[in-house]
Amino acid sequence: MFEIGGKRLKSRLFVGTGKLPDYSLIEKMYYEAGIEVFAVAVRRIGPNTKHTKNVLEYIPKDATIMVNTSGAQDHKEAVKIAMIGRELTDSDWVKVEIEKDTKYLFPDSFETLKACEILVKEGFKVFPYIYPDLNLAKELEQIGVEAVMPLGSPIGTNKGIGCEVLLKPIINEIKIPVIIDAGIGRPSHAAQAMEMGAEAVLINTAIATSADPLKMAIAFAKAVEAGRLAFEVGILKEYEYAQASSPLEDFISG
Amino acid sequence: MLIRVNDKEMEFCGNILELVLSLNLNPKTCAVLVNGEIVKKDDWESFVLKDGDYVEIVSFVGGG
Repeated sequence: MFEIGGKRLKSRLFVGTGKLPDYSLIEKMYYEAGIEVFAVAVRRIGPNTKHTKNVLEYIPKDATIMVNTSGAQDHKEAVKIAMIGRELTDSDWVKVEIEKDTKYLFPDSFETLKACEILVKEGFKVFPYIYPDLNLAKELEQIGVEAVMPLGSPIGTNKGIGCEVLLKPIINEIKIPVIIDAGIGRPSHAAQAMEMGAEAVLINTAIATSADPLKMAIAFAKAVEAGRLAFEVGILKEYEYAQASSPLEDFISG
Repeated sequence: MLIRVNDKEMEFCGNILELVLSLNLNPKTCAVLVNGEIVKKDDWESFVLKDGDYVEIVSFVGGG
């Protein structure tokens, strides 16, 4: 068990629900992969929209909903989406994701900071999606966000932990949890994030677009658990030359 | 009376609750913004739409 955002959770694997072929997979992931946190987005629904199904109807009632402000271009839109989220759910968990560019989907740090300031004051549990930027992470910690969510690599690229040298200082220097979000494409990437000391990871594309999302969710859940156990024990240092595992004396002769 | 709903113009007379129901949407899982401002659910029945109002109906979809 660990505590985050005022909740006690067992699973350190958070899952995004975008691109899922079928929302009924959410319930299966909850029961069979032990996923407890599901990210969702707010979009127009009804006439002349692509979206006709409401994802909330598919999320088990004991699961935690993380409202993602994706689609917001500035802090005002992000705050509005968070308010809508609170109006429609009991959840005060909000992932602040603000992007102006759609090619790389890099988070806008200035707008993210502004949105977080407002949302923390409004009583939300705030989880900002950020660049792996230690100074920004420190600012956000001061403001009072619950955790920071730096990207491993750009959203949906499956490239994994592309910037370990930038992520590690954040994990080492701030006291609030670090959740590695975006770009994680394989269970081994997730294990790597956990070995580094991340509190949790958030995966969407790698699970949702796989040939069998439930099986992949289980694979990720196991990888996250393995990585975390290894972190808790302590990863051993690397050596330049071989270090014998068996004793190097009293060999048999001839 | 002409209003705009999710960027499409439509003829409608009535309050927000009536609009949502007429579009076969579940009022429990939708939020409504009129001219960019969220209207609380408790106010849906008393909020009568005016000519030229811009209505956005939003809900939750899969997202990361």
